[in-house]
Amino acid sequence: MFNILRLVQNENLKIYKRMSTWIMISLLILSVVIGGIATKFLMNPNDGNPETNWKEELQVRNEQLQMDIEQIENAVGAGSATKPLEEEVLINNYRIENDIAPVESETLWGFMISAPNFTTFASLFAIVIGAGIVASEFSTGTIKLLLIRPVNRYKILLSKYLATLLFAFLLVLLIFITAFIVGSIMYGFQGIDLPYLVYTEGQFVEKNMLNHIITLFGLNSVNLIMMVTFAFMISTVFRSSSLAIGLSLFLMFTGQQIVMLLSQYDWVKYILFANTDLTQYFSGSPVVEGMTLTFSVTILAVYFLFFNVASWVIFQKRDVAA
Amino acid sequence: MMEREPIIQLKDLKKKIGRKTIIHGISLDLYPGEVFGFLGPNGAGKTTTIRMMVGLMKISAGEVLINGHSVQDNFEKAISYVGGIIENPEMYKYLSGRDNLIHYARMIPNIKKEKIDEIVKLVGLEKRIHEKVKTYSLGMRQRLGLAQALLHSPSILILDEPTNGLDPAGIREIRTYIRRIAREENITVFVSSHLLSEMQLMCDRIGIIHHGKLISVEDVTTMKEDNLDISVHFDVTPSQKALDIVKEVQPDTQPSIKENWLTVQLKKDEIANLNKVLVDQGIDVSGIYAEQKTLEEKFLEVTGGDSHV
Repeated sequence: MFNILRLVQNENLKIYKRMSTWIMISLLILSVVIGGIATKFLMNPNDGNPETNWKEELQVRNEQLQMDIEQIENAVGAGSATKPLEEEVLINNYRIENDIAPVESETLWGFMISAPNFTTFASLFAIVIGAGIVASEFSTGTIKLLLIRPVNRYKILLSKYLATLLFAFLLVLLIFITAFIVGSIMYGFQGIDLPYLVYTEGQFVEKNMLNHIITLFGLNSVNLIMMVTFAFMISTVFRSSSLAIGLSLFLMFTGQQIVMLLSQYDWVKYILFANTDLTQYFSGSPVVEGMTLTFSVTILAVYFLFFNVASWVIFQKRDVAA
Repeated sequence: MMEREPIIQLKDLKKKIGRKTIIHGISLDLYPGEVFGFLGPNGAGKTTTIRMMVGLMKISAGEVLINGHSVQDNFEKAISYVGGIIENPEMYKYLSGRDNLIHYARMIPNIKKEKIDEIVKLVGLEKRIHEKVKTYSLGMRQRLGLAQALLHSPSILILDEPTNGLDPAGIREIRTYIRRIAREENITVFVSSHLLSEMQLMCDRIGIIHHGKLISVEDVTTMKEDNLDISVHFDVTPSQKALDIVKEVQPDTQPSIKENWLTVQLKKDEIANLNKVLVDQGIDVSGIYAEQKTLEEKFLEVTGGDSHV
């Protein structure tokens, strides 16, 4: 174990002594800052006093929702399609009755709830690192001196994978911290004691908002981990970082659309991208009816194992010829 | 030398890629403190053999034992005795020389910072060690390559074409250095090259590999040109009788006849003797012409000379 830690330390040395790594980190922080400034100054939907008339707004919203529900019911009948809308109505009523204001987008929490969207950038940069971490050793020839050490190959591969994941988590953490700093500078701490409301099985539960935000970050990281693992596998199997970056980004940006296009077929639920967005089980409805959180987690675990076993087997057997 | 325990043993080592056999069963024992030259034209299988010895390529059949440990079954143990440079020492260019050494040191238990400093001094890089490797000359990279190979005080140094691309001064530096560590630290050095002249200056023994077969292993001392057979041509009449005589008295000299010229392979001190025999038997010897081969020619002859060397 001590051995593995030192190997991870080596991989970190190789990641963080590179200029390109720091450019990516700066870009990520910059994008969160710009995102924060943009939401404050460019998007300003309600120019009135959001604190005084939120109850009226919710009532208007509820009427709108009721109409939507009726429309959908007339078209396809009652079912999973209307369920999230009905829940929203119930939560809105509960807010009005109990005087719990919703989180406005122009508050610290509002900004931080939208911040997990930035994990797409984190995925992008972590894919670049994961795609290069094995392939670049081959393309520069350094793999030869790396593998003639008294360390078995699987340990070297494991250390590279762990270093990639660490980098990915560092990026997510940076988004969280930056979003918190930017949000608190721009919006202050107003409404910080607001709870997060959930409606489950006929019960309203008030939860800690910070926990909710961390959960959102966690759910968004699922896609990040899967894509980084995928890039890492391509990098190991084909020894080409450009192929690994290209393929991973292509799938990351088109995967959801492909799933949507094919959503009429039942087998689509076995595609990785139908399962990476776990938020579908907390708000909204699953891509294919009947999919459950357990199902998705199982599918994700299968893909995760497959990617890692493929990397491991190929790396272990490879003849280093070039 | 033979009474000592070998430190590296290759036992009928074979490599197949697909259905093609590249290495056809190499067996070889190397002893502590010797410098062994692995000589062969490009494409003979030197690099493949070396890569199997250090575990970069899988062994198809046979085995490699390093200090008694199989490279295949007990890689970590076996390779811990080995330091190597495989072709050009490709280091991380964006790291400093010292960071590169720290990186390799972390992969081996119990290497102290002082050891790194000591090695850096040994290869004479202390002034530039904090600079990035991309600013180094090829000679400096080669020295840093030696430093990483010596970091864990190995008992064996495996060098694949270490002088490739170096200028004459650099080649000489490496050569002197290899001889010194073999002598002073009793390190076995296994070095490959396609240049015979270079091998002669550096090695105790030379093994010649050709088409994936080890075709000869010789001590450098016995490879001196004086000891080589000389092709001697005798201008004789009658030629057929002369050939019969030589076949009878010295059948192992590969006698052959072409017009009046009888050609035999002889050592220098045998020429006068054979001449006397021929004259005593009534043969007219009207001319003797000796043609000495250089080692280079012999090497080309053995390896077929089908590749530039």
